[in-house]
Amino acid sequence: MQAPERQQRLAALRDTIADIERKPALAEAVNRPRGEPGIFPALPAGLVQEVYVDGARDSGASLAFALTQAKSLLTARRSTIYYVQLADEGKHFGLPYGPGLHWFGIDPAKLVIVRVADMTEFLWATEEATACRAVAAIIAEVKGNPKLLNFTASRRLSLRASANRVSLFMLRYGQRRESSAGHLRWRLMPHRSGRHAFDDRAPGAARWHLRLEKGRIAGNQLDWMLEARKNGFAIFSKPVGLGRYQAETPLPGAAPALLGHRLSQAS
Amino acid sequence: MLHLPYWATDYLKRAEPRLKENPLALYERIKGGLRLAALDPEGLQNGLRLGQNLADARAIWPALTVLEIDRPRLETAFGDFADWHSNASPLVSVMTDISRFGDLVLDITGVAHLFGGETEMLRTLIIRLRKLGYRVSGAIAPTIGAAWAVSHFARSQVVEDDSFAALLDALPVAALRLEESQLLTLGQMGLKTIGQVRQYPRKSLHTRFSQILLRIDQAFGAIEERMTPRLPLVDHLVEQRFADPISLMDDVLRTTHDLSVKLSKTLEAEGLGGQTFHLFLYRVDHKVMTLSLNAGRVTRDPEHIADLFRHRAQRLETEYDPGFGIDMVRLAASSTDRLDAVQTGAFSIEEGTEDIARLNDRLSSRLGPLAVLRTEMVASRLPERAARLVPTQSGQTDAPIAAPPLQRPVKLLPMPEIVAIMAEVPHGLPASMVWRGESFRLVSGQGPERLGAEWWRKQERLKLVEPPKPKKPEPGEKPVPPPYIPDLLLFNPDAGTRDYYVVEDQHGSRFWVFRQGLYSKGNRPIWYLHGFFP
Repeated sequence: MQAPERQQRLAALRDTIADIERKPALAEAVNRPRGEPGIFPALPAGLVQEVYVDGARDSGASLAFALTQAKSLLTARRSTIYYVQLADEGKHFGLPYGPGLHWFGIDPAKLVIVRVADMTEFLWATEEATACRAVAAIIAEVKGNPKLLNFTASRRLSLRASANRVSLFMLRYGQRRESSAGHLRWRLMPHRSGRHAFDDRAPGAARWHLRLEKGRIAGNQLDWMLEARKNGFAIFSKPVGLGRYQAETPLPGAAPALLGHRLSQAS
Repeated sequence: MLHLPYWATDYLKRAEPRLKENPLALYERIKGGLRLAALDPEGLQNGLRLGQNLADARAIWPALTVLEIDRPRLETAFGDFADWHSNASPLVSVMTDISRFGDLVLDITGVAHLFGGETEMLRTLIIRLRKLGYRVSGAIAPTIGAAWAVSHFARSQVVEDDSFAALLDALPVAALRLEESQLLTLGQMGLKTIGQVRQYPRKSLHTRFSQILLRIDQAFGAIEERMTPRLPLVDHLVEQRFADPISLMDDVLRTTHDLSVKLSKTLEAEGLGGQTFHLFLYRVDHKVMTLSLNAGRVTRDPEHIADLFRHRAQRLETEYDPGFGIDMVRLAASSTDRLDAVQTGAFSIEEGTEDIARLNDRLSSRLGPLAVLRTEMVASRLPERAARLVPTQSGQTDAPIAAPPLQRPVKLLPMPEIVAIMAEVPHGLPASMVWRGESFRLVSGQGPERLGAEWWRKQERLKLVEPPKPKKPEPGEKPVPPPYIPDLLLFNPDAGTRDYYVVEDQHGSRFWVFRQGLYSKGNRPIWYLHGFFP
């Protein structure tokens, strides 16, 4: 009895707020991703996910995390993944490598690499690709915190992404977090790899510690210990201490980030 | 063929009306002396001639205005002038045999009827130019050589097939487009007109004057002479003329949209689609701006074509210069191919490829074709050669080469970076690494994967087997010549060999490193970081 009434009241309040803001209620059709304990949830299409790693040394890990998710979004209708990068950052972070993608289980022909000259073109190209309903996912790599990629720009991108159900992965670097309208923000920390089946000294399957810094997945789990497998992720252990990352973990977002968080969650 | 003998001075006078007051001459520095290079007709009438000393010319006529000739500027200006004539015929070129400017060749095959016949066309073109202040003579003839001869050495006329041999025979030998020295020799032989040269036995001419025979054959049509048109050849075109010139970029784009609708209808009627589209903007001041772009696949969708030009135009906004206005816009399609109308069925599964091709078109029309890339595999063992990035717009690909099932990183650095690596024993697993000023303790590793250098791509000599020792020739036998050894460095297989290792540091970051070269006496191989594993 109590619950429906409360929900109605909440809906009415939301409409009131929308009226105050003189615009229609935010049209984000993305539901909160469902999750079950014990497995990493299959995240739906149309989310903007930021993946933070500490530096260029882990750029392969964040790309692999994005590609594993993008692979599950590929269909006959949505057949292509786009990768956007500033042309002069390719030398620093490297470029996606065809034979490596093949080894990883992705057909290199399905990945289009867009190398742009400056940040304006970067945003334009990303938005153009987000508007296309034949794109499965976009992986955009940004170094540092460019001024143009502010809250407004990311809000535009996230609205487009959820309207067209195109997933956008922003691969970011460093410790600083600025406000953004992304739905989820991950922090990816590599973990010592598993055992190699035939060679004790060789690194085995890649393992990562993922921490959800922004957004919520039903179940409210914040930490995952994942192992990359051919067909997705597997959880290899319960979340443990953060090791060297414990001391450096930044404050959980600045005030504007909180604001952005609330906006992106209102629906 | 249009001949503008005084084009240089006419052009300068038109550009600067102040110069019209006095006769004009242009001079040039030749071998330390100042010589006249171009004159207007008043100068010629008053005893000046080309190649005269500048001081002499000034003495003859003190009122003469002289300027130094700027050949590159005149040549580009004449090129623009020639392009503007593409409103008369699509095939226009500049003939540069005698002078870099002044001679225009137009192929008017199938065009003359638009002007009401050949005579009328010649008259229109000549009067149009005379009104602009250019002195011009012209001729229409079956061959380029004949038209050149008539336009230079006879009155402007249309030369008919039956009369042109007689007409040419009467012209002087200079009408054969020959060099000064050859003209002098012909003069010494007493041959004045083309007719006399033709009566001279051909065999004896052949040894000394093959050039003259070539020109005669070209003029009389025995050898075909070709022209290279300046503007791209187009199959299908539509155009829009304006009574009042337009200049705003928005107007041009709107016109482009209208034209692409028209063009699309023309193409549809023939069941064709185009892959390359050209936009020609004809400016009032006789310049033509061209813009060409490619679509990823054959298309005739008007919205798409207009969009492509709009994106490119936004990028070129700073370079766009309409001058005093644009009075004609032409849109053309080339590289056409069959494109059948497709019916979209209600139950067919939608394919994304068309949308992707469109998106690539849009991206590369604004960012440039080199910004939108896909991976193409190459049959090579060297990692940096095994895959290359090619523009998505570069057309169809060959049969794809399957990547070998080898462990390769997802990201590769375009340039391998030098790292300092310590290993416990020379060929053991790396134990520590310094990269970009940061040190890593490497706890596990896999390798080496040894890749040899590709000797067939090196400009080096390969030593396969020892050459046999030269034997002393027995008496009565010819000595065996020593084997040919090219003057190249000896290929060293060890120096180019790489050992690749997959290494992981104590936190779990994984790298792909390699050592170039092998350890040997006096040789310290260098380590590089090449890629990142997940």
